[in-house]
Amino acid sequence: MNMAEEILRVENLHVKVEDTPILHGLSLTVNRGEKHVIMGRNGAGKSTLASVIMGHPAYEITEGEVFFMGRPLDELDVFERARAGIFLSFQYPAVIPGVQVGTFLKKSVQSVRQEAVKARAFRQELNAAMDTLDMQKSVLSRYVNDGFSGGEKKRLEILQMLLLKPNLALLDETDSGLDIDALRIVAKGINQIAPDAGCLIITHYQRLLDHVKPDFVHVMIDGQLVMSGGPELALKLEEQGYDWLDATEVEA
Amino acid sequence: MSYADLAVPSRALHLWRYTPWARIHPSTVDDVPSADPVRWEVGDGGVLAEATPRAQGSPDIARTFLAESNPSVWALRCSPDAPTVHVRAVASGHVAVGHLHIVAEGDATVVVHLSGEADWAGLHITAEVSDNVRFAYGLVNELSVNSKLLRCEDWTVGRDADVQHASLSMGGFRCKNDLRTRFTAPGSRLTQAVSVHGRGERHVDHHLEIHHDVGRTDSSLTVHSACDDRSHAIATGLLTIAEQANHCDAGQVFKNLLLSEKARAEAIPELEVLADEVAAAHGAASAPLDPNQMHYLMSRGLDAQESAALIVEGFMHDGFSSLTNSDLLEALRTRLTVHLECELKR
Repeated sequence: MNMAEEILRVENLHVKVEDTPILHGLSLTVNRGEKHVIMGRNGAGKSTLASVIMGHPAYEITEGEVFFMGRPLDELDVFERARAGIFLSFQYPAVIPGVQVGTFLKKSVQSVRQEAVKARAFRQELNAAMDTLDMQKSVLSRYVNDGFSGGEKKRLEILQMLLLKPNLALLDETDSGLDIDALRIVAKGINQIAPDAGCLIITHYQRLLDHVKPDFVHVMIDGQLVMSGGPELALKLEEQGYDWLDATEVEA
Repeated sequence: MSYADLAVPSRALHLWRYTPWARIHPSTVDDVPSADPVRWEVGDGGVLAEATPRAQGSPDIARTFLAESNPSVWALRCSPDAPTVHVRAVASGHVAVGHLHIVAEGDATVVVHLSGEADWAGLHITAEVSDNVRFAYGLVNELSVNSKLLRCEDWTVGRDADVQHASLSMGGFRCKNDLRTRFTAPGSRLTQAVSVHGRGERHVDHHLEIHHDVGRTDSSLTVHSACDDRSHAIATGLLTIAEQANHCDAGQVFKNLLLSEKARAEAIPELEVLADEVAAAHGAASAPLDPNQMHYLMSRGLDAQESAALIVEGFMHDGFSSLTNSDLLEALRTRLTVHLECELKR
């Protein structure tokens, strides 16, 4: 039997923003090839977890630690995390006016791979990824996320993920704002990288999980993972919401 | 009226508030030093010929000074269906002055590349855009980092003409730009865009006048200034719409990106609207680097310096986003990218 390769280990993580505590002792392990889903109400701390792993400077770890492929993450700056293989698909990707998508993608791929990318090989790779996501080539000359619809932004995030081939993919509500066809296409992109990466998918909806089969579903309430299970847990949350978990917590 | 007859202009005027005449004059204000001519080289599709000096309109100290320093004028004509005409203006020596008159009688794209090591460069560009002509023009300032520049431009735009006018300012130590456009007939349009890269102690002053003397004329002006180190960028706009010039549509937007605590930028749009049925708008904004943009780019593997450079490059390109002439845009994009890559390697 193969030993699972640990990609992410979060140990007793406490995080605050300014003076407001958000995460209260969260622990989680993600191995290569596993798809973990985190669900929870708005404000539970799901996006905070993704931002902390990516290294957003607004968040302060007050206790606990995060390890990426066995290495403490606090040693690494944001760009070093990206180069090490962490990718965050942003819930609200930044608009970069004046920077063409094609230029940005090439610079990003070169930075992460730390090598010059040959134009022809990159073009072939890019075309293949764009075909997977059913994207128009005209997007390459547009400015990054400038005037993009919600769906276009999410597709561009997934396109970046396919090109950067991360070891850890953090997907922060990548399914929100997508129509049915776009959801299916985005799911295709996630499934393409999933076998070779650890995936942490933050979502509010079961519908993404019709296309991306999770190995684990976790429920976050008030900055803690209060319950974990298989795909059936997501179905139960879709039917019953989160109130029954509050009752469980009280009973516990 | 000669230069000696003109009074030194008051700093109460917007035009002279931030870069007074004494600060841009090559020596002392009473002096008209002998000047070497700017050397002009024209690429395929353009023809230069010596022309007669042009009569001055209203007395203006900068234009009068340039005319007395070097009265010679070169006229540029573009061949019909020519590709982009590149004109090289090289300023060498202590003081160098040149006057280029652009004969815009047919559709054309002209890019003037200003370079050289002159201590002081003076440039006067004039153009009369004929009726129904679509004319695109760009000036790329790549002067030595130690040069001073005085640049004056005077454009008139004829009936149903379309003018795209771009300035990319990257060179020179202290630069004073006084760019004026006047609509002389209805149905015409001006799209003017300026991008400035300030670094070191660079001081770049753009004064941009657009005069709607007749109705049914449109203009849009966009100025983007990215200021680093102790640089100082100034943009003053003067938009006038005459009393009978109804149905004009005019807008001015000034944006500043401040990259260091000691960088400064002023953006002062000014409107004088005397007609009733017009649309006229202006806006100005200054901001430091957006931390969300920085985080986004760094999360894609770019380090802080690379991320900031890409944001600056994008900001400066975005200053030209109102232009639609692809040849002009390509020329500006290429020069800007080369400049910023060199800056990043310093």
